[in-house]
Amino acid sequence: MLELNINDRTLRVDAEDDMPLLWVLRDLLGLTGTKFGCGIAACGACTVLMDGHPVRSCVFRASHAAGKRVRTIEGPPDRVLRALQNAWVAEQVPQCGYCQSGMLMAAYGLLNFHPEPTDEDIALLMTNLCRCGTYSRVRAAIQRAARALQGDRA
Amino acid sequence: MRRRTFLLSALGTAGALVVGWGLLPPRSRLGAADLLPAANGQLALNGWVKIDADGGAIIAMPRAEMGQGVHTALPMLVAEELDLPLARTRIEQAPFDAIYGNVASIVALLPFHPLERDGVLVESAEWITAKVARELGIIVTGGSSSVADAWQVMRLAGATARAALVAAAARRWKVPAKECTTREGRVVHAGGQQADYGELAREAAGISPGEVVLKARADWTLIGTPAPRSDLPAKVDGTAVFGIDVRLPEMLHAAVRMCPELGGGLGALEARAALAMPRVRQVVELPAAAGSSAGFAVVADSWWHAERAAAAVKAEWTAGPNAALDDRPVMKRLRSAVESESGFPFYWRGDVDEAFAAAARRLEAWYQAPYLAHAAMEPMNCTARVTANGVEVWAPTQVPTFARAAAARTAGVPEDRVTLHVTLLGGGFGRRLETDVIAQAVRVAMHTAGRPVKLSWSREQDMTHDFYRPAHVARLEAAIDGAGKLHGLRIRAAGDAITPRWGERVYPLMSLDSPDRTAAEGLYTLPYAIANQHMAQVATRMGVPIGNWRGVGYSHNAFFAESFVDEIAQALGRDPYAYRLSLLGAAPRYAAVLRRAAERAGWGKPLAQGQARGIALVGSYGSIVAQVAEVSLDDIGKPKVHRVVCAIDCGTAVNPGIIVQQMEGGIVFGLSAALFGQIDIRAGRVRQQNYPDYPLLGLAQTPEIETHIVPSTAAPSGVGEPGVPPIAPAVANALFVLTGKRLRSLPLVL
Repeated sequence: MLELNINDRTLRVDAEDDMPLLWVLRDLLGLTGTKFGCGIAACGACTVLMDGHPVRSCVFRASHAAGKRVRTIEGPPDRVLRALQNAWVAEQVPQCGYCQSGMLMAAYGLLNFHPEPTDEDIALLMTNLCRCGTYSRVRAAIQRAARALQGDRA
Repeated sequence: MRRRTFLLSALGTAGALVVGWGLLPPRSRLGAADLLPAANGQLALNGWVKIDADGGAIIAMPRAEMGQGVHTALPMLVAEELDLPLARTRIEQAPFDAIYGNVASIVALLPFHPLERDGVLVESAEWITAKVARELGIIVTGGSSSVADAWQVMRLAGATARAALVAAAARRWKVPAKECTTREGRVVHAGGQQADYGELAREAAGISPGEVVLKARADWTLIGTPAPRSDLPAKVDGTAVFGIDVRLPEMLHAAVRMCPELGGGLGALEARAALAMPRVRQVVELPAAAGSSAGFAVVADSWWHAERAAAAVKAEWTAGPNAALDDRPVMKRLRSAVESESGFPFYWRGDVDEAFAAAARRLEAWYQAPYLAHAAMEPMNCTARVTANGVEVWAPTQVPTFARAAAARTAGVPEDRVTLHVTLLGGGFGRRLETDVIAQAVRVAMHTAGRPVKLSWSREQDMTHDFYRPAHVARLEAAIDGAGKLHGLRIRAAGDAITPRWGERVYPLMSLDSPDRTAAEGLYTLPYAIANQHMAQVATRMGVPIGNWRGVGYSHNAFFAESFVDEIAQALGRDPYAYRLSLLGAAPRYAAVLRRAAERAGWGKPLAQGQARGIALVGSYGSIVAQVAEVSLDDIGKPKVHRVVCAIDCGTAVNPGIIVQQMEGGIVFGLSAALFGQIDIRAGRVRQQNYPDYPLLGLAQTPEIETHIVPSTAAPSGVGEPGVPPIAPAVANALFVLTGKRLRSLPLVL
C-alpha cells in the first residue's frame, strides 16, 4: 500500500512499486486531468508538480513520490496556478486542450523558480509538445501571469 | 474518362441514389421539435434549439470539438439570431437524424475549379449532390466545413425559435407580434411588458412561425466578434473529458498490439505469462477491421497493467500483402507512374500541347512528398460496453455515423441498438475520421461480460498504425513564349487516392471508386491566369493504409505548385510576389489576400543579415490564405523560421479570434511537416515509433505569427485546414533566396 500526498490530501493506493505515477493518478485514483501522450517523457502531457518541480509522471515511479507533495491540475489552485489559468483564458491558449494540463503544470513549475521569466527562459524550459500549435499563446500567457503575480506583490 | 463524362457519371450515380426519394417525407434541415429529448422543464422549438427552464438555450451539436472552436462558433450562429448571450447557451450532442448530416463537406468533394463555378453543370452537380448528401445525412466533422454547413440552418434555427417566442408573447399580451422585440433572452413589448424566454417556451412550442427572416449583417452583435471560446474553462482546470478520460463503474482497461507489418495477420498467441501477471484479466484476439491490422488486446485493471502484459505476450505474426513494402521504391514507382500513365484529367483549358510545341523556353521540375502520421496528442482510444440490451460507445470521433455503423457491425446488432457518446477530441487532424479503434473496443467489450472496457493505444501503436498522408510525386512543366510570358502549365501527379480508400473502410455500403479530387486539389485549383493548362493525376495503390491528413491533398500539392510558380518567377527574373500578382487579374480575392500578406510583411524591405522572405498563396476549402515566411539558417545550417505573416479571406469571419488561432495552429502543424515530417516504411513496417523520431515543432522553434483577416461579406468558408498548405512553399521559397538551392522534396533538408 502506497501513501501519497496529492493535492494536499493523503491518499492510500494499492500499486506496485514500479507503476508510474501517471497511471496511479489516472486509473487508480481517477485523476484524469493529467494526460498520457507518449509514455517516454518526450511530450510533457503528463507533467505534474513534485515539491514544486515539474515532473513527467509517465516515467516517474509512484513509489518515489512517497513523502513528496504532488500537485496535479485538479488541485485547489493557489495564486500562481490561478494566475496561469486566468492568463490561459485571457490569451485563449487552448485549442483541443489535451496537452494543456501538462503545459500549465510545466508553466507553474517555471514560475515557481523564475518569477520573472524572459522569453529565452520560456523557450528553454517549456519543452512540452502541442500538436495544435498553441506555443506563441503559451509564451504570452506565461508572461501575462508573471506580470499579474508581480502586480499582486507590488 | 473525360472530366465531363466523369461529372455526368457522378450525377448518374447520385441520381440512382435518389430513386425512391419521392417516397420519403419532405424534410427540412430545421427539423421537428420531437427530435430532441426534452429533460425537466426543457422545451424544444425545432430540431436544433431547446429552451431551458431558466430561459437559456440548449443547442443540438452534431460536430466534434477537436480544437477548431466549433463548439463556440456554431452556438454563436444560433445565439445571434435568438438574441441570447452566448454564455446562456450550452450544447448537447445531436441525436442521429439526417438533418444533422454535413452537406457542405460532401458537396466540396466535387472537382470544380474555384474560379469556374458558374454554369449549369456546376450548379446542377452541386444541387443534386447536396440533395443526396441531405438524404444520406452523414454526421461528420471534417473538410473545414462545419461553419459553412451550419451557416444557414443554425441561424435559421435560432431565428425560428425567436419568432415562435415572439409570437407566444404577442398572443399572451394580445398585441401584434411586430410591436415586440427581443433583447438578451427576453421578449419586450413597446408598451413595457417583458417576458423571459423560459416563461414563454411552453406557449412557443406550439407555434410554428410563418416566414422567418434572418438578421441583416448590420444588426449582428455577436457574429464577427472574437467571442471567448466556451470550451476553455474546462480545458484549464483538468475537468474537460476527452475520450481517454472516460470513467465508468466497473470499467476495465485494454492495451493493444497490432501486427507490426501493416496489413499483416495474427498467427499463434502465447499469452500464459501475460495472463499470470497481476491484475490482468484476459487476452482477446482482434481481427483486422475497418482498415486496421490484426492483433490482440490485453484486458486489465489499469492501462499500465494491460500494456505491461501486452509486452509479455508472444505473438506470431503472419506476413500480409505488404511484407516487402518499402517507401523508397514507392517514390520510384510513383515517378514512373507519372512518366508512363496519363492519369485522370482534373482540369484543362486552352491547348497545352500546342503551347509547349510553340514554347521558346520550357521548365520542368519534379516534386515529392513523403508519408506522414497524424500524431494527435491524445492516443487513439475508445470505450465500449456490450450487454444484452445493446452497445454503448464513448468515442473521440469525427464520424458519429460511421462510428455507430462500425460498432453495430462488430457486435452484430442493428444500428439503433448502439448508443454513441462523442467526447472531446484530443486532436483529430483527420485521424479520427477512422473507425478502426471503435471496432476494436467493441470487439473486446464483447468478451467482458457486460463490463465496460476502455481501449487505448500506446504512442508506438498510434505512430505505426496510422492512416498516413499518402506519398505523392508530381512533374510540373511550364511553357514560356517568346515574349517571356507563361503560356502553358502541364502537371501530372501520382499517388494513392484517399477518399475511395477511406470510404471502403468506414462506409462499405457506398464505395465509389471514382477519381479523387483530394489527390489533385492544390494542383488543378490554381488561381493564376495561364491560358493553356492541363492537370492530371494517376491514382495508385501502394498498399500503405492512407487517409485524410489536415489539409489533405493541398498539404503537399500546394508545396509543389507554389514552389514551381516561384521557379517560374525566378526563371523570368521577376519578383515572386509581383509575378504572382500579375497573374491574378481575374482573381481579385486572391490578389487582395496576397497583397495584404506582402504589405504587412514589408515585402521588399530589408531584413536582418542572413534572413530571407518567401511567399505562397493557396486557396483551399473555399478560403484563400497567403503567407510570408522570414527564414534564416542556424549555425548548423538548419532552417529557422523567425516570423510568418498570414492573411486569410474566409468569407464572413464568424469568430475572428478562432480564425487567428486556427491560422497559428495550421502554420505550426505545417511547419512540423515541412521541417521534420517523414514516415519511413521498411519491410512493411513503419520505422518511426514515438515523438523523438517523428519530431513536432516546439515552443522554442515557433516563429512569431501575425494573422490578418481580409474583410468579406461572402458566406463563411473553411479555417481549420487552410492555414496548413502555404507554409511549406513559403519556407522553401525563402530557402531558395537564402541558398540558391531549390528544395523539391519534403521535408526541407538542405
